[in-house]
Amino acid sequence: MCRRLAAILPGNTVVIIALMMFCGGVQAHFQMLYTPDLAPIRGQATHLLMPFSHPVHGGPNMDIDKPEAFYVLSQRGTAAKRKKVDLMAYLTPVTWSSPINSSTAFEAKLPRKLTRSLGDYVFILQPSPFYEAEEDKYIQQHTKTVMNVGAVPGNWADPAGLPVEIIPLDKPYANWRGGVFRGVVTAGGEPVPFAALEIEYVNYRVDMALPGFVPGAAVQLPQDSFGTMGIKANAAGEFVIGLPRAGWWGICALDLVPGSLYQGKALSVDAVLWLQVREMN
Amino acid sequence: MKRFLCAFALTTVASQVFAHTPLCDCFDNGDDTISCEGGFSDGSSAAGMAVRVYDDREKILIDTVMDTDSSISFPRPAVESYTVVFDAGEGHLVTVYSDDIE
Repeated sequence: MCRRLAAILPGNTVVIIALMMFCGGVQAHFQMLYTPDLAPIRGQATHLLMPFSHPVHGGPNMDIDKPEAFYVLSQRGTAAKRKKVDLMAYLTPVTWSSPINSSTAFEAKLPRKLTRSLGDYVFILQPSPFYEAEEDKYIQQHTKTVMNVGAVPGNWADPAGLPVEIIPLDKPYANWRGGVFRGVVTAGGEPVPFAALEIEYVNYRVDMALPGFVPGAAVQLPQDSFGTMGIKANAAGEFVIGLPRAGWWGICALDLVPGSLYQGKALSVDAVLWLQVREMN
Repeated sequence: MKRFLCAFALTTVASQVFAHTPLCDCFDNGDDTISCEGGFSDGSSAAGMAVRVYDDREKILIDTVMDTDSSISFPRPAVESYTVVFDAGEGHLVTVYSDDIE
């Protein structure tokens, strides 16, 4: 029934997305931590946007409460001392718009003095648990976005000490289209064998001023298996993904602390890592 | 900015036998001091590497080295324009022009 309905409404993304939700298709939630350029040549003020979304479909987007933690770990050089700066004071609620719906998200406008130095900046967002009524459970996604200024590497490959985390084996900010990206899924600092992962492409252009997704999908999906790609890590918690298109890619490792509870309900403790992929012109 | 990028490009070209590329940037701290940071593309420390500041007649105004955290701060030179040269050795220089220091 639902497939038939979708079939008679080609091209109407909003309706199809609504049908997918109505038909019980569980889509991947992704806590975004977005800034347009993850590898600037020179340090500058940094504007970050933090919607909770389904980026391959441009939504639906969910309202989120003020995050529990937001900070950056920066390091200039692999042997240098890592610096931690709390960024909670820079969080401001915003209305995130998209072709599907609007939601409450957060943004942070960091002054240049915080991100002018050469080196790596590992931004970390710990959102408040989100209640997903459809599944009657909470979701909390510990999210990392790694930016580099001026090509001097630092702590991009180091564990940030999160309860759950994707440890990059390749620089998340330096990826060519057609390359691969590798990582290790961890919980409590230990690899998670055969962890379930979901991969999504950010299929809508982000307008920083709006702020939100601009209508018009970059890629038309043959069917929804291509939207949220489910894979498994290997026995050592490692994974490899291909990067077939320039833009932003999200990797989410799901439910890494089974049995977790929040307010008497199941809590899925997830780890999210973002990549930026460049065209090789 | 163009000259800054040019300096970067020249450095890269000049570093083909240099496994790690020297990198440098400088900032105006807004209090009549300038800070510069150095590093390498492999994450190596620039501590102890030479830094020289020249006026527009190539007279050396400051001749020093990067400190233990690969940075250096100095009073803004009292000249109209100047250049900061990070000397990573073996002819590998990164030049930052005062026009590009913000």
